[in-house]
Amino acid sequence: MSGPEGVFDRLLPVGDAKTCCAALYESKAVEWLLDGQLHPGGEKLTLRLGELAGLRRGSRVLDVASGRGRTAQLLAYRFEVDVVGVELGSQSVAAAQASAAAAGLGSRLCFVEGDAEALPFEDQGFDLALCECSLCLFPGKRRAAAEMARVLRPDGVVAIADVTADAAALPAELQGAMARVACVADALPLEGYERLLREAGFEVVARERRDEALARMVQRAAARLRVVRMLPRAAGMTAEVTAALELMTHAEGAIERGELGYVLLVARRRGSAERSRRSNG
Amino acid sequence: MRVEHTDKAIGEEVLEATQSICPECRKTLQAELVAREGRVVLRKRCDVHGRFEALIYGDAERYREIQRYRKPGARPRELQTETLKGCPHDCGICPAHEQHTCLGIIEVNTACNLDCPVCFADSGTDPAHNGAGGFSLTLEQVESMLDHFVAAEGEPEAIQLSGGEPSIHQQILPMLAAAKSRGIKLVMLNTNGIRLARDPRFAPALAELGIHVYLQFDGFEDSTHIAIRGRRLQDEKLRALDRCAKAGVGVSLAAAIERGVNEHEIGEIVRFGVEHPTVTGVFFQPVSHAGRHPGFDPLERLTNSDVIDAIARQLPEWFREDDFVPVPCCSPSCRSATYALYGGGDLVPLPRLVDIDDYLDYVTNRAVPDLAIREALEGLFSASAAGGTDRAAARLECVACGVGLPDELQELAAKGFMIVVQDFQDPYTLDVRKLRRCCVSEIVPDGRLIPFCAYNSVGYREQVRAELAGVSPGPARGGSHERT
Repeated sequence: MSGPEGVFDRLLPVGDAKTCCAALYESKAVEWLLDGQLHPGGEKLTLRLGELAGLRRGSRVLDVASGRGRTAQLLAYRFEVDVVGVELGSQSVAAAQASAAAAGLGSRLCFVEGDAEALPFEDQGFDLALCECSLCLFPGKRRAAAEMARVLRPDGVVAIADVTADAAALPAELQGAMARVACVADALPLEGYERLLREAGFEVVARERRDEALARMVQRAAARLRVVRMLPRAAGMTAEVTAALELMTHAEGAIERGELGYVLLVARRRGSAERSRRSNG
Repeated sequence: MRVEHTDKAIGEEVLEATQSICPECRKTLQAELVAREGRVVLRKRCDVHGRFEALIYGDAERYREIQRYRKPGARPRELQTETLKGCPHDCGICPAHEQHTCLGIIEVNTACNLDCPVCFADSGTDPAHNGAGGFSLTLEQVESMLDHFVAAEGEPEAIQLSGGEPSIHQQILPMLAAAKSRGIKLVMLNTNGIRLARDPRFAPALAELGIHVYLQFDGFEDSTHIAIRGRRLQDEKLRALDRCAKAGVGVSLAAAIERGVNEHEIGEIVRFGVEHPTVTGVFFQPVSHAGRHPGFDPLERLTNSDVIDAIARQLPEWFREDDFVPVPCCSPSCRSATYALYGGGDLVPLPRLVDIDDYLDYVTNRAVPDLAIREALEGLFSASAAGGTDRAAARLECVACGVGLPDELQELAAKGFMIVVQDFQDPYTLDVRKLRRCCVSEIVPDGRLIPFCAYNSVGYREQVRAELAGVSPGPARGGSHERT
C-alpha cells in the first residue's frame, strides 16, 4: 500500500519524527520540490522577520534549528550580526559551517549540533533568538520556548516565523506522519503560539500574518510534483506522487478557509525593559 | 469638456499623459491614458479630425499592477536617423529610441496567395500587389538589409522573413540561407502555410536550412477562416503542419484573434499546439486595425488581458491568469508570455515552479522570450547560469537523489511550450512612450530599422511601398539580376 509518505520513504532514512524531519530537510529532492525555500516566503520573509525584530549591527543572534545555515548567513550578511546556529542534523551542521566559510562569513557564524529542547548554551548570552518554521515541528514546544527565554539576555527578543493550524478544523487527510513532516500536524493556532510565548515570560510586540506565502509554497511544491510525474524515471512512483498531490490540494483548501496559515511573531521578555534601563543607567 | 484628474461622476481616472497621432492626418497629438469602467482607454483630439478613443487594456487594475515590469531598454549599437521632427516621425532608428531590435522583420514581397479581409500589410493576389503597385525584393537587397541589421545589432537574435506571402517569392530559400549564414540565431519564415501544404519539397528544404516556421493559424472553424482569411483553410493548415513534423521543422502557431470571431477557439488552439509534436509555441495577436481592416470599433477591440483571460477560462486545468508574465520589452501591456512543461497529458507553467521575478532579467529586452526562458529554465538546473550559487549547485547534485532531474532536463526542455500574447499598436492605439521601447523592427531596403508599430501606423509602410513599387518584379528563377 502506498500513501503520500511513500515518496519520501524512498528518499529518506526511517527514524523518529524529530530526526526524520531534520533528515527530510537535508534531502536534496525536498529542497528542489520547495525551490530551495525551506520555509514560506523565502529570503524576503526572513529579512522581514529580521526587520520586525529590530536586528542591528553586532546583535548576538541564536538561530534555533538552523538547517544548512542559509538564514543565519543571510542575517549575518544583511544585518551584520553574529549568529550561532543550533541544529539536530549533523550533516546540516557540517554543511552550514562549510558554506559559511566559503561565503567568507566564518568569523560571524558558528554552527553547533544540539536539541532545541536542551540548548547547549549558558544563560542570557543572546540578544535575539530566532526560530523560523521550526517551532511547529518540536514535540516539546513549551520546553523549547523556555530554553529560548533562558539563553536570552533580560530584554532579549524572540522572533518566530511559523505555520499556524487550527487542529480541530483540519481535514483528517492532513494528520499523520506525512503531515508532521510538512509542518502541519503539530502546528498551533496563532493564539497558541502567543500563549506559549507569554507562558515562557514573553510579551508579543509584533505579529504579521503571511498566509499567502504558505499558499504560494504549497502551490509551488504541487507544481513541481506534477513535473516529477512527467519524468520517465518516476513512472513507478505515480501513485505516491498523486497521493502527495492530493495532500497539497487539501492543504490549499485549508489555507483558503483560514485553518492553515503562516505568521511572523516578535516578542520581548516581559518586564525586562525596566530592568534593562536600570542596569544601563 | 476637459476631464479632471479624477472625475468620480463618470468613474474615470487619468493614469498617464503621453503622445499619439491622428489616425487621419498622422499629426502628433497629446494623448491621455484613462481608466474607465475597469478598462484602460487612450484618448486624443485632433483640431481638424476630432476626438478618438481606443481600448488599450481590458483590465485597468491589472494594467496598473503590471507597470512594475517596466524596465529601461538596451540601446542599439548604431543609429540610422537623426531626431528632426520628433517621435514618431524620425524612425529608422533615431536617437530618441530607447531600445535595440530583438526581432527584425523583412517583408520580401507584397504578393500573396490569399486575399484576407484583414491585412496590416495590405497584400493580396491582385496584380496591384504583384506588379506596379507592389514590390518584390531581390536577393541582393535582402542581403544588404541583413548586413544593416547585423551592423546595428552585432549578434542579432531573431529575424523573420515576411510579406506578402514570402514563401511564394522565388528566391525565398536563398534569402533564408543568407540570414542563417550571418549567424542570426533564430531565422523564421512567416507564412500562411499554403506552399508548405502544396509543395512536398518545401518543408524538407526549410529543415535543411534550420528554419523555424511561424504559421498563421487562427482556429479550426470554417467561419473563422472565412472571416479572417477569406476562405476555408483547415485542410491546408493541417497538411502543412504534418509536412513540417515529418521534415523536422519546428513551428510556432500565430493566431490573429478578433472579438466575436475566434475568441472561443483560443483554448483549443493552445491544446492543439501543445499536443502537436512539431509545434513549440503559440503567438496570439489581437487583430490590429492598421492597413486593410474595414468596419471596426477601436473601443471594442481585444487586448492582451482579454486573451489571457480567455486562455485561463478555456483551459482552467492548465492555466491561470497569473501564469502569464508581462515582458518588459517592448512594454508590459504589449507583450505577456509564459513557458510550460508538458508531459503525460499534464501541463505545468514555469512561473508555478519558480519565483519568476528572480528570473525577470532573463526575459528583459528580448522580443522572442523563447530563447530567454529556455535559458532561465536551464538556469534552474545548471551551476553556470545562476551565478554559481549554492542553490544552483545543489540542484545540479539532484542526480544523486531519487528524483534526478538534470539527466531528464533535455527531455523536459524538448517538451517546453511557449505562449506569447502580443498586442501590436495601430493608429488608434499608438502610444509614443511604448513605441520608443519597441524592439520589433521592420528592416527597409535603405537600411533603416523602423519600429514595427510605427511602420504600420505612422505612414512608413505606405512610403516604403511607394518607393519600391514597380522597381523590381523579382529576379527570374535561377537568373541573375541587375543591382539597382
